[in-house]
Amino acid sequence: MNKVIKLTKIFLKNSFSNMDARMGISTKSKSKIIVYGLLFLYFAGLIIFLGYNLLDGLIAIHQETIFVGMILFMIFGLAIIQTIFSSINILYFTKDSEYLLPLPLKPYQIILARTNVMLIAEYLIIFLVGFIPLLMYGILTGAGIIYYLTMIFAVILLPILPVLLISMLVMFIMSFAKLTKNRNKFQLFAMLLILAIIMAISISTSGMKQDLTNEEMAQMVVQANGMIELVKGYVPTVDYLMEALTTNSLFTAIVEVLKTLGITILGFIIYMLIAQKIYFKGLVGNLFGGGASSSNKEINQKEYRNSKLYKSYVGKEFKNMARNPVFLMQCLIPAILIPIIMVVVVFAGFNSDGMGLEQITQMAQQMPTNTFFIACIILGVIQFFTMFIYVSITAVSRDGENAVFMKYIPVSLYKQYIYKIIPNIIMNIVTILVTLGMAEYLLNLPVITLIALFVVATIMGILQSIAMIIVDLKRPKLNWDSEYAVAKQNLNLVFPVLLSMINIAILVGFVYLLKDINVYIGVGILGILYVIATFITNKYLYNKQYELAEKII
Amino acid sequence: MIEIKNVSKSYVKGKKSVEDLNLEIKNGEIFGFLGPNGAGKTTTIRMITGILNIDDGDILIDGKSIKKEPLEAKKNFGFVPDSPDMFLKLKGIEYLMFMADIYDVPQNKRKEKIEELTKKFEIYNQLNNQIQSYSHGMRQKIVICGALLSEPKNWILDEPMTGLDPKSSYDLKEMMREHAKSGKTVFFSTHILEVAEKLCDRVGIINKGKLVFVGTFEEMKQKFKENASLEDLFLEITEK
Repeated sequence: MNKVIKLTKIFLKNSFSNMDARMGISTKSKSKIIVYGLLFLYFAGLIIFLGYNLLDGLIAIHQETIFVGMILFMIFGLAIIQTIFSSINILYFTKDSEYLLPLPLKPYQIILARTNVMLIAEYLIIFLVGFIPLLMYGILTGAGIIYYLTMIFAVILLPILPVLLISMLVMFIMSFAKLTKNRNKFQLFAMLLILAIIMAISISTSGMKQDLTNEEMAQMVVQANGMIELVKGYVPTVDYLMEALTTNSLFTAIVEVLKTLGITILGFIIYMLIAQKIYFKGLVGNLFGGGASSSNKEINQKEYRNSKLYKSYVGKEFKNMARNPVFLMQCLIPAILIPIIMVVVVFAGFNSDGMGLEQITQMAQQMPTNTFFIACIILGVIQFFTMFIYVSITAVSRDGENAVFMKYIPVSLYKQYIYKIIPNIIMNIVTILVTLGMAEYLLNLPVITLIALFVVATIMGILQSIAMIIVDLKRPKLNWDSEYAVAKQNLNLVFPVLLSMINIAILVGFVYLLKDINVYIGVGILGILYVIATFITNKYLYNKQYELAEKII
Repeated sequence: MIEIKNVSKSYVKGKKSVEDLNLEIKNGEIFGFLGPNGAGKTTTIRMITGILNIDDGDILIDGKSIKKEPLEAKKNFGFVPDSPDMFLKLKGIEYLMFMADIYDVPQNKRKEKIEELTKKFEIYNQLNNQIQSYSHGMRQKIVICGALLSEPKNWILDEPMTGLDPKSSYDLKEMMREHAKSGKTVFFSTHILEVAEKLCDRVGIINKGKLVFVGTFEEMKQKFKENASLEDLFLEITEK
C-alpha cells in the first residue's frame, strides 16, 4: 500500500508541477498559494452566487430538497464526463507508462495509483460544485449534524462508482489496441466510441420519465418536495444518498449510506478484478503494438507541389490537432459537438414537457424576433459555445518542447501567431454557423440580421483568438508528459471562459442600456466596439511579438 | 561565416551562463564546439539560432545580425536541434514539404533534393509514414534532411550524431566535409571527442560559460601535453 501512495504522489506531483510551471509559480510558494487561492475564491464565489439564487427560489416554493438531488446528479454526471476525458489519458497516454512497466511494481499497485489520480482530480472539482452547494443547503435549511455527516460520506462515495465504471469501459475498449494496425486511428475511434456510448445512454435515460402526463407533473410540482420524485430512479447510489440527505431519521441515513458503501465496494472489487485482467493488455498494445500506420507506397507527385506558406503552416496546425485524439477531442470537436448537444438537450427537455418542436417554433415566431434583445441573446449563446474551443489558448503549448522551432525559422513570429490562431477562427465560424442555423430555424430571422450577427460574432471570435494566444504565450506549458496536460489539466483554460463571461456581461449591459434601439444600429455599435478592441489587441500582439516569445526556450 | 562578438547571456541576475564569447567560424571550415554538460554549448547555439535573446554583443550569420535582422540571418543557416522529436504527427514527406515551403525551395528542386537526401539516409521508403513511427535515428535523419533541404550556406548542428547508425553517421560526416570543401560553414556541438578530432578543422572548448580553448587539435596538443590522449587533454582543459 505504501508503494501505491508513493506512486500516486509522484503522478500527482508530476501533473501539478506542470500546472505550476505553466503559471510561473514553481519557486515561490507564497505566490502559489495566492494564485490558487484567488482561483478558488473566484469559482467558489461563482458557485455560491448561482447556488444561493437557485436554492432561495426553491425554498420559496418548498421544493428545496430537489436541490440536493440536482447536486448529487451533478456530482455523478461531472464524474462521468471528467473521467471520459481523463481516464483514457491518465491510464494510457501518459509518457511515464513506458518507464513504469519495467519497475518491480505489482499490477494492482499501478492500477490503484492511476485510479487514485483520477479520483483526486474528481474530488478537487467536486469540492467546488458538490461540497460547497451541499454545505450551503445545510446552512440555509438549518440541517442537523446527521445531514453534515451524511454529506461528507456522499461527497466522498458518490464519484467513485462513475470513475470505476467509465475506466472499466475505457479499459475494455483499449484492450483491443493490441489488435489494431493503426494505433492513431484506433485511439481516435476509441475516444469517439466511448463518447457515443455515454451519449446514447444519457439520451435513452432522459426519455425515461416522458410517460408522465402534464397533470401528473403539475401535481408533483405542487406537492411539498414532490419534485424530488422527478429525479429519482436513474442511479441507485444517487437515490440512496438523496434519501440519506433528506431524511430526519439517523437510522435511515445510516442504512442508505451503508447501501451506497456496499455498492461502491462491490464495484471496486469488480473493477480491480477486471482491470488486472485487461488493463496491461491494452496499455502494452497502446505503447508498443501495431505502431502508427506504416506504408511503403510511392510518393505521389502531387505531394511535391509547393504551396503558400500560410496554407502550409495552417495545414500543419490542423493535421497536428486532427491526428492527435486528445487535441481533436479538446480543440476541434467541441466546436461542432457542443452546440448540437445543447440543441438535443433543449429540444428533449421541451418534448418531455409535452411540447412539440413545432409548437416551440410557432411560439417563437409569434414574438417579435428581429430585436436587439434577441440579437444579444444569440451573440451571448455563441459566446457560451465558443468558450469551449481551446485551439488558440493551447496554440503554442501544443507544440511542447518543439515550440522553439518557431524561433529559428525565417518566418516572423507575428505571422506564425496569426497562422496558429486561424484554426481557432475557423472553428469559431463553424460554431457561429451552427448556432445561427439553429436560431434561424427557431426564429426565422431576416437574412440581413443573420449576416450582421455573423460578422459581429466572427469579430468577437477573432478577438478571442488573438487574446488567447497572448495568454498562452505569456504562460506557455511546454514541458508536458501527456497531451492531456495541455488540453485539460491546464489552468489557462479558465481564460476563454473568463473572456466569454466578460463578453456576455457586456452584452447584458448593452441590452440594459440600449433596450429599444434598432437591431441594426445596436449590432453596428457592438461591431464597432469589437473592431476597436480587436485592433488594439492585434497591435499589442504585433508590437510585443518578440517579448511574448521569451518563455519559449 | 558565423561571427560571435562579445556575446554574454545570463539566466539569473549576476550569474553569466555565457561570458564575453568571441568566435569566428570561417567559410570552408568545420568547427566543433565542445564542453562538459552545462558549460554553455546549448545556450550559445540557441543564441546563434535566435532562440535565445543575446544580453550583450552580437552574432552575425554571413554578415546579417541575428539581433537586428533576424529573418535575414535565419535564412542563412540550417539548424538541427538536439532533440529530433518534432512534428511527430506529420508524415515524413509532409514535414519536408513544410520545411521546403518555409525556406522557399523552388518547385523544380524539391523532388530532386528530397530524393537525394532521403535516399542517402535510407529513409526514402518511410516518407509516407508518420514521423512518430520512426526510430530515434530515423527521426534524427529526417530532421537533418529538413535542415539541409534549402541548401543553406551555414550548417548549425546540435549533437547531430546522436542516435545515428554507423553508416548514416559516416554519410553525415562525409556530407559535412563536402559542404565545407565547397566553401561553406559547418558548426556543430558534440560530446564525441574522436569525431571532433577526425572531422573538425578547428574546435572550441567552452567551460563554465567561457571559451577556454580555440584552435586545431595540433595546437591543443602543443599548448598542453603533447603525448596525452585527447580525453586527458579535454579533462585538463575543462577541469582547470
